[in-house]
Amino acid sequence: MISRRSALLTGAAAVTAAGAGGVYVATREKPEPPAPASIDSNGRLLWRNWSGIQHAYPAARSAPRSEAEVAAALTSAQAPVRAVGAGHSFTGLVPTTGTLMSLDALSGVARWEGSEAVVWAGTRLGALGPALAEKGRAMPNLPDINKQSLGGAMGTGTHGTGARLKAIHGDAMALRLATVSGEIIDCDAATNADIFRAAKVSLGALGVITQVRLATSPNRRLHRRVWVEPFEETLAQAEARWAKHRNFEFYAVPFTGLAANITHDETDAPARPRAAESDDAFLGVLKQLRNLLGFSTPLRRAAARALLGSAKPEEAVDEGWKLLSTDRPVRFNEMEFHLPVDAQLPALKEVVEAIEVHRHDVFFPIEARRIAADDAWLSPFEGGPRGSIAVHAYYKDDFAFLYTLIQPILLRHGGRPHWGKLHTLRGQQLASLYPNWNSFLEVRRRLDPAGRLLNPYLSGLFEP
Amino acid sequence: MLLAVAGLALAGCSKPAATAAPADVTGLRPADRRLAELYEGACKTCHVTPGSGAPQTHDHAAWAPRWKQGESVLLDHVIQGYRAMPALGQCAACAPDDFKALIRFLADKEGAPK
Repeated sequence: MISRRSALLTGAAAVTAAGAGGVYVATREKPEPPAPASIDSNGRLLWRNWSGIQHAYPAARSAPRSEAEVAAALTSAQAPVRAVGAGHSFTGLVPTTGTLMSLDALSGVARWEGSEAVVWAGTRLGALGPALAEKGRAMPNLPDINKQSLGGAMGTGTHGTGARLKAIHGDAMALRLATVSGEIIDCDAATNADIFRAAKVSLGALGVITQVRLATSPNRRLHRRVWVEPFEETLAQAEARWAKHRNFEFYAVPFTGLAANITHDETDAPARPRAAESDDAFLGVLKQLRNLLGFSTPLRRAAARALLGSAKPEEAVDEGWKLLSTDRPVRFNEMEFHLPVDAQLPALKEVVEAIEVHRHDVFFPIEARRIAADDAWLSPFEGGPRGSIAVHAYYKDDFAFLYTLIQPILLRHGGRPHWGKLHTLRGQQLASLYPNWNSFLEVRRRLDPAGRLLNPYLSGLFEP
Repeated sequence: MLLAVAGLALAGCSKPAATAAPADVTGLRPADRRLAELYEGACKTCHVTPGSGAPQTHDHAAWAPRWKQGESVLLDHVIQGYRAMPALGQCAACAPDDFKALIRFLADKEGAPK
């Protein structure tokens, strides 16, 4: 994540900008958004997602310690039964007035089958890295954030970046699914193949995934490089960089004309760990530039270029799980769509232009990644590789523009939404984007005929 | 117009001033087995990571001003989320009494009067 680019700030002690009217001070931190009560009138404890925009007061909480307990809760606990991991989804997948189920007690590597690891679905990605590394193995790719549970990350189609690397669910070789009938279903490409293709990305709407058999790769060291350059240069080089590098992503920084590029490539060079993170520092600079100079794009651009344009590149060498995925302490809300690769860069240019014209309050960089194809029915990457565009809004800032300004651009370019990130698509709109939408709904009705897993958000999502 | 951006940038972070944590912080865990599991699965990822901005486990200097705010304030911060602290510490299985016990462990105040 660009917010980790502490090296970009090297030498950025101060900047002098020509101003016509003296000092403009608008640096006050916005107040916290309104908070729901910690305990409701029925004495029920609040659940809130990471960014704070989703909440619920579940009647019951379930923390099963075995597959049998998962199945028992699915059968008899108060509906809707919704599984939760780290709560990193921004959409309403989790809120329930019924039972909130955490798989935190079902965590860790259950066993190895050759080079494939059978992993409990409650395992947090941050814990899975060192657990696999003990055997000299690693997940082939990782998303930016390491807090999510494996089940939550798979269920929402969470991904990293790399033209030849799949999303997390793309490396699932088999899984076990507990259903509301109390059954535990084993499935893979040969056994219960329809359930397997439906369940790999299934929003917790078919049952609860308890275990996943994951393909792993050798735990190689990666050479990480981060640098800033003009946005136009990045656009011109992006396709070549996706072809050349194991992992490549970049962040267009609005109101600066700059982009931050990040590559990772395998190396045998000795480890050179990344310097202590200052995750917030880069975003802090961009936010203060917004606060101070948001009234003048030319001043904001000049100050940003003075601060960031000549920054020293950051380099590090370490095991992949230590570099690809980390903490991300600055909270935000986010929209991400996955587009046909040919549409990605033209759409990104449109998004940046729209923000610079209409939304001077935006300061988060806009993220562009590339993901290889897989065959899960509700995978955004089903049928071909996709290029993703992610737009973030600071958690204290208005994010309605994501729906009104950004989503129309991304839809016009053929984008499919990230299941855990903000979008307004429902029913027929989604059916038109996913060739196997109806096949998924058939499996869903078969496994959960009474709708015990459906909260209002999911009911709306699956409506005809 | 003069912008002291570096200083402002850091002021925009949610991190408190860095404080030293005990050297063996990663090996600390609550004595109670269930509480230890909750700690390992949720709190530990940030509270033994100095760069996270979270007050580190048993870091008395970092915890002292927080402890003074009182248990109810700290509990509310955990439930609601506070600055970089995610709601419920991302422990959906934790009950309020679990959070109270975990706060006491993190602050090294397990023997303090309740």
